[in-house]
Amino acid sequence: MARKTIAVIQSIIFNRNVILVALVVLALMPTLFYATEWCKDAEAFTSSLQTSVCGYLMEEKPVTGALLLRFTQMFILIILASNWNLTGGFSGYIDFGHAVFFGMGSFGTALLMGSSRWEGWPDIISDWSFWPAMLGGGIVSAVFAVLIGWATLRLKGPYFSIAMLGTLVAMREFMRLNSNLSGGGLGLSLPVYLNRPLFYYLSFAIMIFVVLLIRWLRTTEFGASLVAIREDEVGAEMRGINTTLHKITAFTIAAFLTGIVGGMWAYQNTFIDVNIVFEQRRTIDMVMMSMLGGLGTVAGPVIGSALLYWLRDIVWANFLLFHQIFEGILLIIIVLFVPDGIMGIFKTEDSGTSLAGVIRGWRRKSPEGSESA
Amino acid sequence: MDFSDLLIQTLINGILIGGLYAVMMLGFSVIWGVMGVINLAHGDFLMVGAYLTWVLNREYGMEPFLALLIVLPVMFVVGWITQKILINRIIEKPHLIALLVTYGLGIAMANTVKLIYTANPRLTTTQFSGFWEFGEVVLPVTKTLVLVAALLMMIGLYVFLRYSNLGKSIRAAAQNKEAARMVGIEIDRVYAVTFGICLALTGAAGMLLSPLGSIQPFMGSVWTLKAFAITAMSGLGNIPGALLGGIVLGLVENLLATFIPTVGSNFGIIASFALLVVVLVTRPQGLFGGLKAAQEIR
Repeated sequence: MARKTIAVIQSIIFNRNVILVALVVLALMPTLFYATEWCKDAEAFTSSLQTSVCGYLMEEKPVTGALLLRFTQMFILIILASNWNLTGGFSGYIDFGHAVFFGMGSFGTALLMGSSRWEGWPDIISDWSFWPAMLGGGIVSAVFAVLIGWATLRLKGPYFSIAMLGTLVAMREFMRLNSNLSGGGLGLSLPVYLNRPLFYYLSFAIMIFVVLLIRWLRTTEFGASLVAIREDEVGAEMRGINTTLHKITAFTIAAFLTGIVGGMWAYQNTFIDVNIVFEQRRTIDMVMMSMLGGLGTVAGPVIGSALLYWLRDIVWANFLLFHQIFEGILLIIIVLFVPDGIMGIFKTEDSGTSLAGVIRGWRRKSPEGSESA
Repeated sequence: MDFSDLLIQTLINGILIGGLYAVMMLGFSVIWGVMGVINLAHGDFLMVGAYLTWVLNREYGMEPFLALLIVLPVMFVVGWITQKILINRIIEKPHLIALLVTYGLGIAMANTVKLIYTANPRLTTTQFSGFWEFGEVVLPVTKTLVLVAALLMMIGLYVFLRYSNLGKSIRAAAQNKEAARMVGIEIDRVYAVTFGICLALTGAAGMLLSPLGSIQPFMGSVWTLKAFAITAMSGLGNIPGALLGGIVLGLVENLLATFIPTVGSNFGIIASFALLVVVLVTRPQGLFGGLKAAQEIR
């Protein structure tokens, strides 16, 4: 019975058509928002259709700015978890400080957009427009990842995890002390730009890009090498894989994308300070969502993030005071009882059905085919 | 105050705080050494010990150093129960599982304390304050008492592990679990006692730091990190090494605070992180002992 239920759920989630429909619905959602806005501003309605549609939209408000914002947050979480999964899941280097790249990206973008509170901030890296500044934030974050990864990625297992936790905490304190950079306790204010659909589409696009990128990476020799590093690092090295280079590359890609998202988030939020962007909870989110979905799978972080985001939304709405306690306990429960995540549950199904094939298509294109793998 | 006095004062402060660091990290490193569990909730247990002291101090006007008599047994029981309910399930599993579970536990604990006592920084007051003056150099009474208490507890732990039957069982379990089981040591009980003792020490360290600076619910991760840094230097379960490592960290922090003004005093966490990474990258086996040589609990 349980197996059958799982199979049904699986067939729904992993059906290509369902995914396509979901993406189209998500892509069209802001048009309703625009329509509602238009109805609000319209002086008079020219046809009865307009009247009834606008009446419905004004009455029910199916898509509000708040809803778009929530979806944007969900997309951001999916991006972050997918990025985390690149080092944490594929190469098996569990990173407890990945939020540091989010913070670097946020601060990079904010500073490039000219929100520094320091008189001596050079003009040439100030007052950039949003798009180059966002890229700049990503690059700052990637450069930082190369530097820090060069040192920490030599560490194995728990030592790496703790060293990255240390990076996060140390960077937070470092930025707090350098009020020239971080604005200290005052934080930094970015130019205010309230455009919910823009951020919605931007995060939506980045999310699709990231998921497709990771799915593609998984099929390449690079992805196979990462998994080889996870399974047996010494063996991978004997096989001629430059493990350090691979690890640092994956780490840097993840950091770059995380930095970009950090920059986008900073512009959307219009205010950042040290405590907000270097929040430890963000790292926990990434770990927890990837774990819930399934480590080292492409679809895992997507499912895990989406599920956990709405679950948390419910808890948040109903038991505000308890939601962080709830998160800690939930992490324990996930780790103890579903260590392989949701993808692990699906995997136990006997393969051979078409469903399992679909999943395999999501999880990996078999690398056996290529000679060099 | 000339330079040599300043230097001596800084060194004294570093050594005084080093004792606290040593007793603070011992719980972490012994748990790791005996059970192979890296306890990321370590700092949060420390925080619980500190809050327990603060409550006793504020509600009942109890002298913080006397509160040790309550904090030690209470935290022992907490540790025993935690081990029985939670840690026992993850001992055999890979490191990652233990990391994540204790991380989750830490979050839950910090937020529970925040829920009850809010996030405001708190401070306990002790009667043993003031300074002993020796010329230009002063010896703060509270910090000296903290060092003395820390040393007493470490000697107690050392004697316990060295000479008592239970202590010998703990060392045996750390060396070879299967062999220990074969000679009739109840591993589960040994683990529960170890966890209890380690948490009692950790809670005591929380008490010791509560009169020195403000405490707040989310201070845990910083202390976990410091514990890890000292463990990386001193090796697992190595008590003399712990003292040495604690003093090294205390000295580094205090030297930075004195000689790099304005920013130095807050550089503590960055210093311990830099120390950690340098040690791990250059000497992965640790400075004074060995992380791998976990068998020998000295």
